[in-house]
Amino acid sequence: MGDPAAGQIMFKRSMTGRVTLRLEEFEKNVLQDFVREFAQLVAMPEEPAQTDPLARLLGMEGPTEISEDPALARLFPHAYLDDAEAASDFRRFTEPELRDVKVQATQVVLESMALNADKITLSDAEQKAWLQVLNDLRLVLGVRLNISDDERENLDEPMFDVYDWLTWLQGTLIESIA
Amino acid sequence: MNVSVAPIEVAEPGVLTDYPWITLVWNDPINLMTYVTYVFQNYFGYDKAKAEVLMLDVHHKGRAVVSTGSREEMEIDVKAMHSYGLWATLQQDK
Repeated sequence: MGDPAAGQIMFKRSMTGRVTLRLEEFEKNVLQDFVREFAQLVAMPEEPAQTDPLARLLGMEGPTEISEDPALARLFPHAYLDDAEAASDFRRFTEPELRDVKVQATQVVLESMALNADKITLSDAEQKAWLQVLNDLRLVLGVRLNISDDERENLDEPMFDVYDWLTWLQGTLIESIA
Repeated sequence: MNVSVAPIEVAEPGVLTDYPWITLVWNDPINLMTYVTYVFQNYFGYDKAKAEVLMLDVHHKGRAVVSTGSREEMEIDVKAMHSYGLWATLQQDK
């Protein structure tokens, strides 16, 4: 990834208000791979074995339990801390849509990368999708890497470089649109 | 034909009291401070000063009340916070 602090890889806002990002080919490939992998992670699992047809018709087919995968549990946490039944109901009604929204954002990001060569120009809607996807990628990686406010462990782990690179990218995107 | 019937809703305890519901956002080590501020400005429409005060409360005190209202309204806010990747919960303020 090189040294992100060198300042070459960043979102920029032009005088006309256009937000652009210039990526090297290999950076684009790395990012595309991560975005695709993330889309697979958050996509709703295929038809559950036993689905109540009426519930499915009413759009009530969502999961009732928090995921055993810590990254998914972080993306879709309990909405109620002291009411398991309410938390379960909330999850059933909201998680499928939240997952769909995240998958749609990855599609917007992948399309904007496919349509542009090395210099990517983003519309307002695309900026929002990029911001959310970069944040989601950092959340998943951060959970996998056990990121905390304390000192980092396993500093040799190459994924820390990717995490820091995504953090840098997201930071420059916020600066250029906020 | 096997048709499931939704149970009749029973009024919950506390529903007749005046306690409002609140949305809490909790601190986490991954979300950027600038991103949290951006979310508070964009979703709630708070000005930058108010959004930063709330963000700093989350950061230093571990959590902040970011909105108040009916239970249904707070569920909408919590769902929105989750879509942004912020860790949020709702509860009755008592």
